[in-house]
Amino acid sequence: MSARRVLITGVSGPLGARLAARLSADPGVEHVVGIDTRRPPAPLADRITFVEADLRRGELAAILRVAAPHVVIHHDITQFPEPGRSRGHLHDLNVIGTLQLLAACGEVTGLRQIVVRSSAAIYGSAPDAPAFFTEDLARSATLRTRFQRDVAELERLVDAFARRHPAIVCTALRLQPVIGTALDTPIMNLFRAPVVPTFLGFDPRLQLLLDEDALGALVAAVRVPVRGPVNVAADGTVSLARMLRRLRKRALPIASPVYGPAVRALARAGVVPAVDDDVVSYLRFGRGVDTTRMRAELRFVPACTTVEAIDAVADRLRAERDGHTEAAA
Amino acid sequence: MIGLGVLKDFKRALDLAGHRLRGEYDEDEWGFDPELAAALEPLTSFLYDTWWRVTATGTEHVPAEGRALIVANHAGVLPWDAAMMAVALRRGGIDRAPRFLVLDWAFGLPWASVAIRRNGGVPASPYNALRLLRQDHLVMVFPEGAKGVGKPWSERYRLQRFGRGGFVELALRTGAPIIPCAVVGSEEIYPKLGEIPGVARLLGAPYFPVTPTFPLLGPFGTIPLPSRWRIAYGEPIDLRGLGPGAADDRATVLEIAEDVRERIQGMVYDNLIERQGAFR
Repeated sequence: MSARRVLITGVSGPLGARLAARLSADPGVEHVVGIDTRRPPAPLADRITFVEADLRRGELAAILRVAAPHVVIHHDITQFPEPGRSRGHLHDLNVIGTLQLLAACGEVTGLRQIVVRSSAAIYGSAPDAPAFFTEDLARSATLRTRFQRDVAELERLVDAFARRHPAIVCTALRLQPVIGTALDTPIMNLFRAPVVPTFLGFDPRLQLLLDEDALGALVAAVRVPVRGPVNVAADGTVSLARMLRRLRKRALPIASPVYGPAVRALARAGVVPAVDDDVVSYLRFGRGVDTTRMRAELRFVPACTTVEAIDAVADRLRAERDGHTEAAA
Repeated sequence: MIGLGVLKDFKRALDLAGHRLRGEYDEDEWGFDPELAAALEPLTSFLYDTWWRVTATGTEHVPAEGRALIVANHAGVLPWDAAMMAVALRRGGIDRAPRFLVLDWAFGLPWASVAIRRNGGVPASPYNALRLLRQDHLVMVFPEGAKGVGKPWSERYRLQRFGRGGFVELALRTGAPIIPCAVVGSEEIYPKLGEIPGVARLLGAPYFPVTPTFPLLGPFGTIPLPSRWRIAYGEPIDLRGLGPGAADDRATVLEIAEDVRERIQGMVYDNLIERQGAFR
């Protein structure tokens, strides 16, 4: 890896610190700078400098000038509210944050690559959608949800930046939903919930990505610079029904016209986790992406298939739960 | 001895139910569930042998492996024709799981979407068809689409326009041979007398059919009539000589599409004569 100085945004997020640690362990990386508005939950490893900064503010340019990174990994793109990231701020963080970051990147000499952690949510979920979206199909997707619009907008910004700066390789990794025990996403909450609300009469094909493989793909993108969007997902798809059976979870089928209100009511009662509109359409119609580009150009192959990823998370959750009960006893 | 056999069968059924409940079955990336398809075999065999008394010819024209595109006429609202075409192939010794392209509207329906997908149905989109063929699947297409199944009783066995010839483009791009197939009998299973456009609009459906039994008998109206069927596979049409570039040549594509349509229309007429009476 020729990238010596790497800057990561969103380093205090659930995957950010692990990504920074992985990169700093790489012999080709001389230094890692992580920025975030939140302080890291645990001290970061050596060779990682933490800078507290808000992407939406202008101070970014000064930080980037000092850090002089060769590679910027824009990892601070948030689909769901998390500690330090309230719902109302998500759009600003995603879109304005990207805008400011790119503006600052334009003034860094020696910058060779920008890797953006984008999302396969850009394609949406629909019954008449292709079973496997290729990268060029993002343009034809109808933008229905807030996050989908955010992703489409920030990818347009990255695209425009790439055209103005042909010397800088801009990569957008479109990740399918990432699962892992350390994550607190709606999908993971469904994994932990006693029952999972599903759509009566629907059984979508889901395609997921284990957190380890998500990190692997981001590292691979730094190692092998590829221009433009690249889908990242585990092999194969799993139907929701089969996934729940493997997780030993019970489905709670709800008729589609009352799904939204019913789930909101049950979530208020604490029976099921709250689900966002992206997740609702994902649970109804699912989504698959074509990963030819990931294999051929990024030369990255996820270690786990979708089924293996689900099994791995299920095992860890079971171990976690057993550990809790033992500690309590 | 017999008691032991029954016990064994019972245990096998229990094991099957157990591992299905634990999710330990396979699905491919399209959501096709071979185990479920195999479990439905008695039903499809009954329909094939007893209900519709199908006579199949020309199954030797279908390759035992490698990509191929089966193009057939379409009738009968629900994709029974695809199911029977698959049984015909299995009986002919072609033990493959054919995939069939289904009008994508059906994938927005509860239950039906799941059942169709688990049995090898895929939303009709050129992207899906290309991927299936590149994976060397046997793909069934019905280029008449909704126009085929939605045509009135008086138009039966008159093939509608073959769309924009998308299936020819697929064959040219992937080098898959086109195997024409004529299905006779499917037109009589749900004789469409009329339609109710208002209800169709309400449901977002392409059309809402009125048959002698539907919607009069409610769900029982979806039981197909026991007509006599013939399924004929024709000689493969190899387009590889033209090269994938020909897929962009509109005139060639439409010409080949019309040629295939005429060939299937001819096969349909021949088999109608051979059949001698719809419910005999």
